[in-house]
Amino acid sequence: MLKGLYTAYTGLRHEQHRMDIMTNNLANSTTVGFKKEGSTSQSFDEILAYRLKDTTDVGNLAKRIGYNTPGVKIGETYTYYDQGPFQATNNTYDLALGGNGFFTIEFTNKAGETTTMYTRAGDFTLTKDGYLVTKDGDYVLGTNGRIRLDTLADATVGKDGSIMQNGVTVAQLRLTDFEDYDYLEHYGETYFVPVEGYTTKAADAEVYSGYLETANVSVVTEMVNMISITRAYESNQKIMQAYDETLEQAANQTGRL
Amino acid sequence: MVRSLWSAASGMNAQQVNLDTIANNLANVNTVGFKTTVNEFKSLLYQNIQTRTTSANGDTKPVGAQVGLGVRNASMISIFKQGAANATESDTAFCIEGEGFFAVRGNDAQTYYTRNGDFTWTLGNNNTLILTTTEGLPVLSTTGALITLPRDQYVTSRITVTADGTVCYPDENNVPQSMGFAIGLYQFNNPAGLNKEDSTIYGVTDASGPALNEATNGALQRSKLLQGYLEQSNVQVADEMVSMIITQRAYEMNSKAIQASDEMMQQANNLRR
Repeated sequence: MLKGLYTAYTGLRHEQHRMDIMTNNLANSTTVGFKKEGSTSQSFDEILAYRLKDTTDVGNLAKRIGYNTPGVKIGETYTYYDQGPFQATNNTYDLALGGNGFFTIEFTNKAGETTTMYTRAGDFTLTKDGYLVTKDGDYVLGTNGRIRLDTLADATVGKDGSIMQNGVTVAQLRLTDFEDYDYLEHYGETYFVPVEGYTTKAADAEVYSGYLETANVSVVTEMVNMISITRAYESNQKIMQAYDETLEQAANQTGRL
Repeated sequence: MVRSLWSAASGMNAQQVNLDTIANNLANVNTVGFKTTVNEFKSLLYQNIQTRTTSANGDTKPVGAQVGLGVRNASMISIFKQGAANATESDTAFCIEGEGFFAVRGNDAQTYYTRNGDFTWTLGNNNTLILTTTEGLPVLSTTGALITLPRDQYVTSRITVTADGTVCYPDENNVPQSMGFAIGLYQFNNPAGLNKEDSTIYGVTDASGPALNEATNGALQRSKLLQGYLEQSNVQVADEMVSMIITQRAYEMNSKAIQASDEMMQQANNLRR
């Protein structure tokens, strides 16, 4: 009997986690370069159920009466790397990627450690020294390291990621793609960090200057998810209440004259 | 659960700031020299909620189950795109076509910069006239000096300004002659880094880089000055309205997520009767 109580508990906990993930999608529904996330539900490993104090099976063993799954957990969280819709801004350094690939960013954290990160958010700007940076000031990397432009000349960005000034190609954006997106971890700030075991490959993405790639969150899906999550939560709660009632009867009613 | 509440709250806060920006843009739709501001968002840090995750067929995945913790306002930057030039009756109205800024001297004797060319001749000391903004801040010349005239020798309505800012006065034959000074125009390496003061005036910061004088710096592409025109704000009303719809709906949906989280907590609370 109590087994079911804990199964319902894992259900409640699981729906909470799904709610957390869904809310983050909604909170980021207007974040440039955000990719929506989801999670799968997975049952706990099956365990064999035995009769208690039973010796009827061969060798005086307890008899098996089948399998039992004691609840649910998150199988995996995954990210949809689908293309997000474009928003026209007409700013040269607002870059959107069409196709698979990521911008390469040199990220320095508060401790001063520098790592390479990847992002789909192309809302870049120039510093006074002419470096192409993200809005947080992290350097955007080109094929030859940091990209430095002449701030006084107009620039155009080609679809292949080349940056032209005064008719000369002055830099080339370094676009990176990965064989398996499962090896990408979220850092936050719409940055992704590859984990051990990743392999890169050439990106097939085209660069569109003057556009931003908005979040690929579909709010209708999220609202439907929200309904299904809250209702699933409610049903689990009802199961718990039912257990509570049965337990109450067992404790207080049984044996009463 | 508390995570989803705070994530949704961060979403509501971010959208609130976004609406503040949109409202300010719309309020300034008729402000001369106003530059529209755009808000951009970034996701907050991610947290592991489960370290071991498996795919559908039971293989362990390289990355744990991560959940994001919401959103923040990453940047609010001004877009210095050219606004429309609008003809006016005023002889002391100027519109900059290009990347330049007018320099003005603030009340604290610091130099500030503006795109608002709605100027006027103001009475100064010793019977002089000074070219100032409508707030009374003196406009600076290419050498960084005030633009002053002896009051009784000139009829201000006859003063003309050429495209490069040179101030001229007609001679006996009605041919405009340079008066020896020009309205200064200055550019910045990174105008988005300028600090917004009040009255469409900007201050220099480390991020913007120092002001570059168009008259002395040959590398700069010189802007053109149009007399008798004012630069309207570059706010795109249709864009702002669409942003407003998106903002309001995003706000609403985040509030729904808070409600849903609240209901779930209530149900958890009701477990123990």
